[in-house]
Amino acid sequence: MIEEIRNEFKNATDLFTNVLDNGFWAVEIAYFPSLCDEKIKDGVLVPLSYRFDPDEFRRMLNSNPKYEHADDPKEWANLILKGYVLLKIEGKHFSFKSDRTPVTQIDAPTVESTLQGPQTAFTEDLNINMFLLRLRYNVPSLTVEPFDKGTLSRTSLFVVYDHRLVNAKILKALYKQLDKVKLDLLQSSGQMVKQLTEKNHRVFPTILQTERPDRVADMLSKGKIAVMLNGSRFVLLLPVRLYDFMHAMDDEYEAFWMVRLLILVRYIAVALTITLPALYIAIVSYNPEIFRVQIAFTIDGSRAGVPYPSFIEVFIMLFMIEALIEASIRLPRIVGSTATTVGGLILGQAAQQAGLVSSIMIIVTSVVAISNFVIPNTTFSQSVRLMKYLFIIIAMIYGISGVAVLFFALIVYLCGLRSFGEPYLALFTNETKELPK
Amino acid sequence: MSRYFYYHVIYVGLINVMLFVPWTLVQHRFDGAVSAMAIAVVLGTFVAYATTSLYLRFPQKSLPDILNSLLPRWLALTINLLASTLWILAGILVIYSYSATIQQFFNPDMNPYLFLLLMTAAGVWGASRCTRSVQFAQEIMLLISAPLIIMILFKAVFNPWLDWDAIRVTAGYIRTPPSFVSLCAATFVFAGYNTLAVFNRLLPQGTQIRYRWIIPLFCTFFLLVSFFVPIGFHGTVGVAQYLYIWSVTADSMIMEYGFVYRVLYIFLLLYTALSLMFAMNTWHTAMEFLKACRPKYKPDPDEYPTPKINWLINIGFAALTFAYAIWTNEQRNQLVNQFWLIARTFSDITSVVLLSFLVWKTTRRRRSQIPSDAAAPES
Repeated sequence: MIEEIRNEFKNATDLFTNVLDNGFWAVEIAYFPSLCDEKIKDGVLVPLSYRFDPDEFRRMLNSNPKYEHADDPKEWANLILKGYVLLKIEGKHFSFKSDRTPVTQIDAPTVESTLQGPQTAFTEDLNINMFLLRLRYNVPSLTVEPFDKGTLSRTSLFVVYDHRLVNAKILKALYKQLDKVKLDLLQSSGQMVKQLTEKNHRVFPTILQTERPDRVADMLSKGKIAVMLNGSRFVLLLPVRLYDFMHAMDDEYEAFWMVRLLILVRYIAVALTITLPALYIAIVSYNPEIFRVQIAFTIDGSRAGVPYPSFIEVFIMLFMIEALIEASIRLPRIVGSTATTVGGLILGQAAQQAGLVSSIMIIVTSVVAISNFVIPNTTFSQSVRLMKYLFIIIAMIYGISGVAVLFFALIVYLCGLRSFGEPYLALFTNETKELPK
Repeated sequence: MSRYFYYHVIYVGLINVMLFVPWTLVQHRFDGAVSAMAIAVVLGTFVAYATTSLYLRFPQKSLPDILNSLLPRWLALTINLLASTLWILAGILVIYSYSATIQQFFNPDMNPYLFLLLMTAAGVWGASRCTRSVQFAQEIMLLISAPLIIMILFKAVFNPWLDWDAIRVTAGYIRTPPSFVSLCAATFVFAGYNTLAVFNRLLPQGTQIRYRWIIPLFCTFFLLVSFFVPIGFHGTVGVAQYLYIWSVTADSMIMEYGFVYRVLYIFLLLYTALSLMFAMNTWHTAMEFLKACRPKYKPDPDEYPTPKINWLINIGFAALTFAYAIWTNEQRNQLVNQFWLIARTFSDITSVVLLSFLVWKTTRRRRSQIPSDAAAPES
């Protein structure tokens, strides 16, 4: 056995192979010490060496669930890479499960924090994640199906759903997409999202990524499917609708009318962040007569010192704010605050005093940026961030009527999207009703 | 699900402004418009009730499906082609007159074809979606514009500058014999039921369209407002001077508290949404009629992704719009509008007759089948 394995892993110097001879048996052993943990000591080495008893050892081979027959030589390489120990005892081959799981602390959510909701987030370990999910959604009908994806990384993933609630059609569509997955390295849930979405779905996300176990449990109870990835903090949920991206978990825990108000605020914020820069261009350069005279004069007066057309002003400011957002994500925390202060000062005061941009534009920029952060989901918020440039371009050509027409086109686009065959944006369609009971 | 049906009724009731219905009525205000409106309320309600009941007899089937399955092929093909022409023309007329309105009131310096390009592009984009998506988009757009609709209607009706005497004077002409064109124009306000021709596919089996009194109630209201409010603002004689009557009427109102002073802009924004919805629906319906002409056609209201043929057909419609815009001018546009309104009235009445005939035919066939089916197990 050792020779065959050595042949397969020619240059893997970190592979450990040996023949352990305790005087009675000569046992061949092969494993990667870096992938295995201390369980190997109690499970293999101690019973084989100074506590050795052939009968007891045979009993253990048959009864310990960690031992399994591994008679197929083709499987050996795969097993070893997954953290199994391969043994050849009395001419028979066994695998012993001893994969190392880093002791992960369950920590608080970093991307989707809530005020009073549960303060746990998923970790990068699949088993702990499964534990966290079972803690909140623990019924016998919860189905877990394991898969392996990525030709090099062999990342294991679980497809989790409640088989009483799930829509079989969607499950089938998911398996079809999973078969198509072609990846060498599967390292993050984002890659999986890209692989699972169709080509014409690339602007708005049609799969939700979340780090909150309570959200996953909530979605499972609505008949949705979760895909959990080993080594990723984020779990994929599908099929989803646009509202799910605008939904914070706090909405489930706070008072009813307060939540309605907050949701309304969020939608208004999205509308503002998409259209405000475009409306600024349209009002300043095309149709100042729309506003009443006083406001039109105020806007024009604030632009008195600005030497170029409004769209250049908008592009300058939006570039600044986008750069600032990018910088504050990438920079380490300590330097980050400096960058934001400097950027904020430049954006806020100096640019306006220098006559490079109008003060109204500064307000527009900050409203756009703040409104964008109101969206609870990062992926969706980035799509929205992209959308506003389309509106700016149309406003440069057509003015305010162009903005209205493009808004219509956007609604049509969103209504035309499907997330695994389910409508993405539709009002008042009760989804639980459509599910087979 | 029947709420989708009423969305159609409501936006078709409102879009009459863009098809020169108020203009046509106002031209005949002293010789038969008022009596024609009174008849139209009865006739329109009757046709609406009849058509919806007839379509409900064919659950989940569109008009082309019904025709294809029950009529000889050549006849079905002819009717489908004729119907699609009528639907295409509706979208073209609305897009053209909306672009002309925008050209006059919003961007007078802009090349008219540039704006037409934007409108047709949006129309093509909307109409090429699948039927279900069109329906969803429709609902959202209508609900977004609902506050604007309500606001403008209320502002108009309760405006202190509205001269009720002028309205009373005009209403007094009810005893004049009705004029034919006015009748056709006025019945258009009720024509929302026509969209069932394709959207009936999405009404699930066993749907009942309840609260059908909404149709006469709302549509009569829209009809009265779109005819009488301009008269109230501009006077019985002055009203005839304007072509885009409602844009001018909207411009007669102001909003005292708000960013926007002139109601005209709110009105134009609202009609951007309504015109695009109308173009989306009519072109989509026309597209479905054309697609049904193919011999191996299978109806699918939820096809995804969008097939290429949808794009091709709709780009064809857009090209037709440009051809129409090049050919037409104000007078020709009026003529085509009147022609379309008349043709539409005829086609509606024909479709009621045709559908009743088909219902009669299927029930007779079913009756003749039952004895043979009952006999079958015994043999």
